[in-house]
Formats: sequence, structure tokens, C-alpha cells
Amino acid sequence: MTSTMTTTVTTTTRRRPSRRARAMLVPLAFLAPVLVLFVGFKAYPVLYALYLSFTTNEGGQQTFAGLDNYIRLASDPLFRIALKNTLQILVVQVPIMLVLAMLLAVAFNSMLLKGRGLLRVSYFVPIVMGLVAYGVLFSALLNYDNGFVNYLLTSVGLPRISWLADPFWAKVSIILALTWHYIGVNAVIYLAQLQSIPQELYEAAAVDGANRRKQFWHVTLPGLRPAIVLTVVLSTIGTLQLFDEPYVLTNGGPNNATLTIGLYLYQNAFQYFDFGYASAIGYALTLIVVVIAVGQGFVLRRRQP
Amino acid sequence: MRSSAPSARHARLRAGALALGGTLVAGVLASCGSDASDSGGGGGDVTLTVWTWDQPGEGLEAAIPAFEEEHPGITIEVENVGNPAIWDKITTGMAAGGSGLADIMNVGVDYMGNYIETFPDGFANLSELGADELAPEFPTSLFGSAQNASGEVFGIPYEVNTNVVFYRKDLFEQIGVDMDAIATWDQLLEAGIRLKEETGTFLFAMDKAASQADSANLWQILARLQGTFFFNEDGEIALSDEGSVEALDFIRRANDAGVIADIPGGWDNLMTQVKGEANTALLASASWMAGVFPENAPDLSGAWAVRRPPAMAEGGYTAASAGGTFLSIANSSPNKEAAWEFVKFSMATLEGQELVYEGAGLFPSYRPMWETEAFTAPNEYFEGELVNQLFVEALSEDTPPDYYTADYAQALKAYTDAQTQVLLSGADPEEALDGAADLLKQQTGREVAQ
Repeated sequence: MTSTMTTTVTTTTRRRPSRRARAMLVPLAFLAPVLVLFVGFKAYPVLYALYLSFTTNEGGQQTFAGLDNYIRLASDPLFRIALKNTLQILVVQVPIMLVLAMLLAVAFNSMLLKGRGLLRVSYFVPIVMGLVAYGVLFSALLNYDNGFVNYLLTSVGLPRISWLADPFWAKVSIILALTWHYIGVNAVIYLAQLQSIPQELYEAAAVDGANRRKQFWHVTLPGLRPAIVLTVVLSTIGTLQLFDEPYVLTNGGPNNATLTIGLYLYQNAFQYFDFGYASAIGYALTLIVVVIAVGQGFVLRRRQP
Repeated sequence: MRSSAPSARHARLRAGALALGGTLVAGVLASCGSDASDSGGGGGDVTLTVWTWDQPGEGLEAAIPAFEEEHPGITIEVENVGNPAIWDKITTGMAAGGSGLADIMNVGVDYMGNYIETFPDGFANLSELGADELAPEFPTSLFGSAQNASGEVFGIPYEVNTNVVFYRKDLFEQIGVDMDAIATWDQLLEAGIRLKEETGTFLFAMDKAASQADSANLWQILARLQGTFFFNEDGEIALSDEGSVEALDFIRRANDAGVIADIPGGWDNLMTQVKGEANTALLASASWMAGVFPENAPDLSGAWAVRRPPAMAEGGYTAASAGGTFLSIANSSPNKEAAWEFVKFSMATLEGQELVYEGAGLFPSYRPMWETEAFTAPNEYFEGELVNQLFVEALSEDTPPDYYTADYAQALKAYTDAQTQVLLSGADPEEALDGAADLLKQQTGREVAQ
């Protein structure tokens, strides 16, 4: 008896940690693929880039250079131009796109609109469009001599616009392309949020004598707040990292008018082979994104009623 | 994309360039594939991959059947990875320590120095395989562009180019100008002004907003004719020296005179000029373009003529190199010996070179080719002109070498921005180039030549 007692006791005491260990191991085993991929494709490159940003290439060897890259960055006129361009595009493009996306979402949600499904899909299509097709499409639309946009302008008696070769209009072209590309996604996010606003709120507002505009202002907008916070932050981060549009449309030109931080980073890494400096630009960009995103989150959350 | 020679042709692959966002990922994936096929080479049968782009690729394809017959067990696969996408692909592979590179790679002279300097262990040292003895068979300055400071060879020249001027003989005859009598660019500008007044045709076209990297081609030609380039032999910044400023000032004067048509860069836009649809009369380009005319503008045979570039000043240089390309072998390739056999066969034997020339029509670097009969035959498209001899003569002129350095890409960008300021906002050439030189000094730590 005593012997069986002791065995049961010992087995349970022995089993307990092993069961706990197994209880720990099972989820870890299931998570392993994700963890391995995260460490291999996220953590390692991010940390390696941080290391690279403190090095410079000398005779084929990455040698430690301390803060040299960051010091150079602080006095680099092209980086300053890239930062200014990126911020200009950010400040103009994000509000325009989000207001338009909101109006689109309200329209998509309206019972009055026929063929809503088709329209929703067609506004969403650009987001899945490949970079090459996108570049070819906009180059064709914005071509000076035989582009469709200039054809429309001249057919109503307006002068042609040098969309990609004029510093001002090149920025406008980037903004147009960006807006076209991402408006659908934002509209879909707003649409999802719109459909979660209870119908009773509109009825109650109508009973209180609020007209359509007041309903939009006092019911729809507050209801959309979580989606607005999300899209503002996401669009801001996306635009700060802007690369595709200037790369396929203007190559940063004319005379650096559409050079963005992302494009400048690319040029330094893959055209000038200066991976150390490019990594430093990457970390500077990260810092800017974090500061702006945290600032936005702070402002938008504080105003919450 | 950078050298004036391959650049315009490369623009054909603009779509490939546009794919860049995907290139890095695709490059890694695609090259993993080729890596796997290489590693199976231990047992005798070997498959070699070659990275190149469209036109040189056609030339190499043409040499494969004969090579494979002579070397049973070796299979060559040519991959047209596109240009300029190929530079990103090679750079990515080099930065990854050589993993995923093709066995053989086609490299432009403008990228060569940078690769050798930045990744000294990236390309195989061909001197160890016996490349040194091939030196006398190739133009000296081009051969030297693929050597490191201690003279080790990292690439065998494929095509070589010299700058020439293609012009519409019929249009100049119309206003009574004899192009053979024109000795300087200033005389050419005078003729261009008359041409514009009397026929409405522009003298030449430029990509004024510099939408493509090849927009600096004309200046590169003019600067070389002045005996200068982006850098001098000491590696100092030379793009703001006297000759450089005069070159840009010529472009400014031509622009002010209204004889430059503003046509964006890229292959399609270049072809509108070749086909005579762009209302331009002259195309300052390189020797490889001669092979482009018959195919693209058959109707204008006899209307187009070709000559060496006029001098910037009377008695100055009338020849200017326009770069070239090389075949290099990856140091990481497990089959370097086999790869070297193919490089030697296709680049440095008459048998291989004749096939390559037939396949692509690119001007060969291999000197013995210059004396073959097929090569010296009169050119039918240019009304029996001995076009290849014209190129050989220009290539044989004693002109200063081009000092590209590892910072060529930055220099090209700095210059192109300065040119845009001059052409679009009326900046002063000297001030714009001084600004470019200062920027370049800040970026590269190089001194500005005095």
C-alpha cells in the first residue's frame, strides 16, 4: 500500500512539471513557423540594418564608422529635399484622399445608388494592381503629346500640361496616382464602419429635427471616428514611406521635385551601393514615422468625447 | 543604363525597370532557382546560367549550339533578366555574398568599377584562369576598365562603342548645308538654326526634364570631346571644370536658340526619332545604333547618314568612347572553369565571335573580328558607306580614358539635376555645375579638381 502510495505521489510530482512543460511546448510548437519566420525575415533584417547604419564600405569590407552616416545625413541637402517633398505630399494628399474616400463610402452605403456592388469593386481594383501595369497606365494617361488627360484638356480648350516634366505638376501627378491607388481601400474601411452605426441613431436624430447634413455631422462622423483614426495613421505611415509612384512615374525628377525618402534610400542602396548610408536613412525614416504616428494617436485620442 | 552606349537600348526594357518593386523579391527567388541547378554540376553534366538582356542575349544564344557541340556535358542557359533590372539583381546577389548569382553575367563598363571596388570577391579573378594573355586582342582602355588596381582581370570585353552622329542628309541638303564640311559643334548649331527657320525641323532632341538616366548622353559626348568627364585620373570631381562647363553651355545656347525638341527618354521615344516621326534632324549617339536603323526605319535608307562627331573647338578631339560591356564570372560559381570556356569561346575566338556578331550585330571588342571580310563590307543601309571602318578609325584614336570610379551613379545624378536646372529654369551652366560638384563632394568625400 505504502509503496503504491509513494509511487503515485512520485509519479504525480514527476508528471506535474512535465505536463506543464508540455503545456508550454504545444503552443510553442504550433507557433514555431511564425516565430522562425518572424526572427528570420523581420527581427534579423531590422537589427542587421541597425548595425549597417553604423558602418561604411571600405574596400569591400563593412567597417565600423560610428555615427558618421547620421552626421552626414544631418547635413545632406538631398535628404532635406526628400523630407520636404514627402511632407508636402503627405499634408496635401492624405486629407484629400480621406475626405473623398469618406464621401465614396457614404455613396456606396446609400440605398439610392444603383449597381453599388460593381462600383465598390471597381474602386477597390487599383489596390491589387501590379506596379508595372500601374506605371504603364499612368505614363500613358499623363503623356504630354498623346496622353488621355491632355487630350481631355485640349478638347475643352485648355492648354496641355507637362504632367511629369514640370516640378509642380509632377508632384500633382504623384498625388493623383496615390489617391487613385489607395482611395478604394480607405472607402471600404469607412463603409464597414458606416454599416455598424445603428439605424436607430439616425431615426432618433430625425425625430429631434436634424436634417441630413446635421445627421452626417452629429451621427455619421462620430460613428466613423475609430475608422478615421485608423486610416489617418495608416495613410500617414504609407505616404511617409512613399516609393512606388515616384519610382515608376518620375524617377524622382525633374530636378528632385518628386524625390521621396523611400526613393532616396533605394538610390543609395541599389544605385550607389552605399548600404550603410541607406540603412541610416531607413532608421531616420522610422524615427520620423514613429514621432508622427504617436503624435497623431495622441491628438486623435485626446479629442475623444 | 548609365553609359551612353547601352543606355538607350536598355530603355526598351523600361517595363522591366518598372518592375523594380518586385525585382528584389523576384530576383532572390529566381536566383535561388538558378543556384539549385548549378549545384548539381559535380557529376559531369553542368548547366551554366548567363544573365544578360535582350540584344546581347541574342548574340550569346547564337554561339551556344556550336559551343555545346564542342563541349558535351556543358549546357548554357541564357536568361534575359532585363536592363536596368540586371544591376539590382547583381547588386543584391553580391551583397548576399554571391549566393544566387548566375555563373556568367553581362556587365556594363559603367558598373564594372563599382562592382570591383565594392565587392572585391564578387567576380572571379579571370587572371587565374588565363585572361591576361587575351589583353592584346582587345582595345586597351576597355580591357583596363575591368581590372583592379593590381591589374587582375574581372571581365572580358563583349561589345565596344564609340560616339558618332547620325543625321538626315536629305534635310540638310534641302537648306544647302554640306555636313562633311562641318568641323565644330558651333557650325552645326548655326546650320541647325537655319534648318529650324527654313524647314521647322529641330536640330536634335533632349529629355529636358531628365525623366530617364540617359538624358545626360549628349553632355557626356561633348565633355569627352573636350577631354574631360565626371572625374579625372586622380579620382577628383571634374564635372565643373572648364571643358565640362563649355559642354553644358553649348547645350544651353542650343536650347536658347530653340533648336532642341523636348522629347522624354526611353526606347519608344528614341525610335520616333529614328523613324523620322519626331521632327528632328540629328541624333548624337553611339556606334551600336547603326544596327538599329535598318530594322526600325527601312524607308529612310539613304536619308540617314553617319559621321564622326564634330570637334568642340577647331582641331579638338573628334572621337569619344561610348563604353562597352563585359562578361564576368561569379566567384561563387561552382563551375568557374566551364564558365571560362564559354566566355573564351564566345568572346575571344573568331568562330564564336562571328556567331555572336551575326546574332546581335553589336560592335565586337575582339580586334581580330575587325579585319574579317563580312565585317568590312560596305553598309547597304547607309548607301555603301564603310560604317564599320569609320568606327574602327574612331576607336583607334588616342582619346583620354573615361574615369567612371565607384561614384559614377551619384555623379550622373548630380549632373543630370544641374542640366535640368539649366534647361527648365534657365540656371547659369557654371553655377549649376559648381552646385553639382559641391553636392558630389559632400556625398563622396572627393575633392573638386581645380
